[in-house]
Amino acid sequence: MDVENLEKINGLLDADVDIREKIKDQVTEFDKRTRSLSGTLNRIHSTRSDQMAALLDTARPIFESCRETTTALAAIIPPNQFWKWKDMWVNSLRNVVFSATLVEYLHRGTLLSLQQVSETLGIKPEWQDRFTLSVEDYLHGVISLVNELSRLAVNSVTLGDFEQPIKISLFVKDVFAGFSMLNLKNDLLRRRYDSLKYDIKKIEEVVYDVSLRKLAPSAKEQPT
Amino acid sequence: MTSPKTLDSRDSILAAFETFRGELDDHNDRRERLIKSSRDITNLSKKLIFLLHRTLTEDATESDDRVLGQRAATRAKGKLKEIQSLFSAIRDELVGDRFWRYQRNVSPGLQEYIEALSFAHYLEHRSLISYDQVQATLCDADGNAFFPLPLEDYLLGLADLTGELMRFAIAAIPRRGGRQKASEVCSFVRSCKADFEGLTPYFKELRKKQSVTTQSLAKIEDATYAVVVRTSEYDLPPELLDDLVAQTLSRAADHSNFGEEIRRKRTRDADYDMEED
Repeated sequence: MDVENLEKINGLLDADVDIREKIKDQVTEFDKRTRSLSGTLNRIHSTRSDQMAALLDTARPIFESCRETTTALAAIIPPNQFWKWKDMWVNSLRNVVFSATLVEYLHRGTLLSLQQVSETLGIKPEWQDRFTLSVEDYLHGVISLVNELSRLAVNSVTLGDFEQPIKISLFVKDVFAGFSMLNLKNDLLRRRYDSLKYDIKKIEEVVYDVSLRKLAPSAKEQPT
Repeated sequence: MTSPKTLDSRDSILAAFETFRGELDDHNDRRERLIKSSRDITNLSKKLIFLLHRTLTEDATESDDRVLGQRAATRAKGKLKEIQSLFSAIRDELVGDRFWRYQRNVSPGLQEYIEALSFAHYLEHRSLISYDQVQATLCDADGNAFFPLPLEDYLLGLADLTGELMRFAIAAIPRRGGRQKASEVCSFVRSCKADFEGLTPYFKELRKKQSVTTQSLAKIEDATYAVVVRTSEYDLPPELLDDLVAQTLSRAADHSNFGEEIRRKRTRDADYDMEED
């Protein structure tokens, strides 16, 4: 190999190594933030509905801090190289999508759209080719949301909230109907989608328990 | 741009997922097309490599490896253009940020192409094709690249080249002037290995291929050693030894034209002619 070629190769390599290290630093920070978010939100299983809003308020500032990360990453990544580097932050990103959609559900009972999640994380459309929220990453976050809600269905009954599992059941069924529209390949997304039916089953069992025992206010209103 | 709405109804959720379906279908369809193109490229590249080997070994009368090398490289040009047009055909699928999304899918074909390209280049120039030279073959008439050449694919394609060179060297040894050729190839492969060594920490695949290269080197080294040791038993210059071997081979080729007669004679005589050579 001649000297010129070797120099060219080492130049390309050094540039890549440099980018990788910068991304790594950002991702370490990002990971801390996303984990602290999911840690905070883990408390929903022991929080009564009247105190839920206060808990959600503690989470909101952390979303703000995530915007620093997304902005920094968008600045590091060269044009058109989003897909080259995205695996380095994919887990943290999916985690924060999960947290964002969870907060929205607890706040308003609705599903945060992909565009809204991007906005929450400060992801600008003009970063499209450098840093963006892909459909796949959004979907993985939403599946995690369903997993979490099946747990919440059980725990909210324990805390005396008998309406929540019914609301969750209706919501999760809508989300599942959405997923069922997709043509999925035999990949991780497909496998996780398949596991959603177990979450639905679990939620249905809670709804069944609550309705039969006439614990739910709507059930109590039924004439005997 | 209006603020995006929350998905607060079943219908809005279904509508959102319908667009997701469209996007995922589009992506998966493109991926399948590119995998197919990559296979076509691999197929043509492998055929080209076989063609190069054949050209180098088919002509028993031509002993000047420079001539054979040139002939091979010239034959390769047309085939290389064919493969390059396949890359040109997929350039639109890889435009902008798409390239890196599908790089994994086109990588096998790309590496096979680089292997064939660098083999032809070696036969013509006796040197390693440079990164810039490879990128230049993947450009249109105006000099615009079809896509950016990943460093990893360049290096891994070259690493496979050393395997082809080993085959070339081993095939060359029994021919006239073969040992000289084999030792040239040996030092070339050794210098390739040395160049790659510094880059292995960054590319896991390269580490694996380096160990294959080491094995290839050992094979060439063992073969040239065996030839040297055997020829040292005869007190003749190497060219005369080559002539002896060539004569024996051509006598055997002539006799095979008489086929069955010779075979029968040998069987009958075998009982009496054991002492003769």
